[in-house]
Amino acid sequence: MSADVKRAPIRPDWWSKTFAGAVLGVTLAFALAGVFAWVGPGGIAAPDKSQFVMWLIAPLWLTVFGFVWLFRSGAQALLWLGGANLLAWGLLFWVRG
Amino acid sequence: MKIRSDILRVYQAVHTWGGICAGMLLFIGFFGGALTMFKAPLERWVSAPVVPVQALAPAQVDKVVAGVLAQYPAAREEFTLHVARDEHTPAPVSWQAGESGHEVDFGLVRWQATLDADGRLAVTQQQPSLLAELIDMLHRTGGIPGTLGEEYLGIYVMGVAGLLYFLALVSGVILLLPTLVKDFFALRPGKNRKRFWLDAHNILGITSLPFHIVISITVVVFAFHDQFYDGLRGIVYRDQPMFSPPAIGATPRDATKLLPASELVRRVQQQAPGFEVTELLYMGVESPRPIVRAAVASPRHLVQAAETGFVIVQPYSGAILSTSMLPGQGNTWSALVAPFFALHFGSYGGMTVRWLYFAFGLAGAALFYTGNLLWIEKRRKNQLKNGPLPAQPRRTLHIAAATVGVCLGSVAGIGACLVAAKWLHAFGAHANSAYLTVYYTVFLACVAWAFVRGAARAGSELLGACALAAAAIPATSLAAAFMPALGMWTHTSPATLGVDGTALLLAAAFAWAATRAARRARNGAADSVWSAAAAPAVVAPEPARQVGT
Repeated sequence: MSADVKRAPIRPDWWSKTFAGAVLGVTLAFALAGVFAWVGPGGIAAPDKSQFVMWLIAPLWLTVFGFVWLFRSGAQALLWLGGANLLAWGLLFWVRG
Repeated sequence: MKIRSDILRVYQAVHTWGGICAGMLLFIGFFGGALTMFKAPLERWVSAPVVPVQALAPAQVDKVVAGVLAQYPAAREEFTLHVARDEHTPAPVSWQAGESGHEVDFGLVRWQATLDADGRLAVTQQQPSLLAELIDMLHRTGGIPGTLGEEYLGIYVMGVAGLLYFLALVSGVILLLPTLVKDFFALRPGKNRKRFWLDAHNILGITSLPFHIVISITVVVFAFHDQFYDGLRGIVYRDQPMFSPPAIGATPRDATKLLPASELVRRVQQQAPGFEVTELLYMGVESPRPIVRAAVASPRHLVQAAETGFVIVQPYSGAILSTSMLPGQGNTWSALVAPFFALHFGSYGGMTVRWLYFAFGLAGAALFYTGNLLWIEKRRKNQLKNGPLPAQPRRTLHIAAATVGVCLGSVAGIGACLVAAKWLHAFGAHANSAYLTVYYTVFLACVAWAFVRGAARAGSELLGACALAAAAIPATSLAAAFMPALGMWTHTSPATLGVDGTALLLAAAFAWAATRAARRARNGAADSVWSAAAAPAVVAPEPARQVGT
């Protein structure tokens, strides 16, 4: 990819991007926190770990939400975050057994 | 740093809308939050000295505990032993009927027990002041009434506001990046008002950015933790236990065999060197799982709750059941979580951090106020040279009036509550039942005033009202000191005098701002929303002239 290819300006796509950030962001955060709960240090039964896992959700979600408007279009946002969700949820179901 | 203009445009919109939608709620949250840093001094300031603070020997305290448990079954469910005592907790033991839920119960009645001069159990019923609870409730709900399930509706609304606030922070930083080096700390006063407010807004935002990021994330967690836990339970943990509860004993207990309180304090002290044990909360002393939650305070540690960490003790054996809420002694996981609480509550570093958080809280409130001012200035229609005075957009006028009314109304409302607490007592009434009425009356009156008078006039007038409300706080204390016949009181502990002093400083600041706002309304550019000349009175059509006049 060459740098001098002029890119089309990003489209605001308010509804689809906001939806992607709000909904796909939170589902992705749940799945990632869940994977961490199972395979992170100490495993699922580590005492007091669940509170930390709960605390992971908000920062993950908000970070995705905050930068969601950087996607070039709403469709891109839905596609990428949807894909990330599929991966993360697949991983969660796999590690959860 | 260069950022593409299309990205800047999109994030400019995110910033403006996130800010405008959440700004006024966050103002109330931040102002209330700043005050909760001094919850205890405020509570002491409004608490009438019913019983003098009593120094009791440990054996006497144990006698009070035994007497209360023998005579008052309600206390066996839950009672508090106040190890550290001051104006609002003069007696060593207190308890209340019923469960303490999420909501503030303004009709709450509490009993307190001590020993009389003859060494007999003396029990009095009292209504503890709930001022600090009120301020905390406004801080957490933005003053939005109503409940949803078992929780205040306002908590969830604040959670959404916290989310918008995080988005506004991210977008604000993105917007600032291109000019960060050049413009940072350039406060440009002078002719261009908008430039000045923008500089002030940017300085406030960037200098306290880490604080704001922590607050926004924690607000979202505090609002939605139940939903987060439910979600995790359903999809992640399922059959796995999320929490390990302490073991349950088999038999009900006999309250007469409790260890002496002094012994419990000693054991906790051993476990938490360097901490001061401030109170012991006894829960279910006759149940199969009796526990005592000892609150420990230390200025040198990050603690879990607003002011203290906790040690859980078994009241019959003295065994330490849990230190996971004791700073530095929990396991890794709770040690990782504790800072989030402490960073939200400012419960580390003692008084220095309390004052710092107080300043951050007020600065945060100012951040949202200036943000709204910028939005308003941006929508301003400028007068062309020698042209007619343009009519400002209706929406701009409304946001301006709402900003002034809601923000200053919450300040004046809280001030009025403090003052009312003492004066109502002078007239034989208890303030608890009146707090909500006083707050919402003042708040709604200010909002109505702002819409009726227009933002320009109301701006200086409501700032004046805030100055009056703040000045009335030390004035009330003075009146109480010099006119004992009023039946009020003036506490002279440094903490409560600090309340008077701070209120006086704030009164001066509001009075200064009021004169500045008045000057701008009088002499400022006539095409501004903040000019009294542009108020609806002038825009309104002139009455038809009568013949002969």
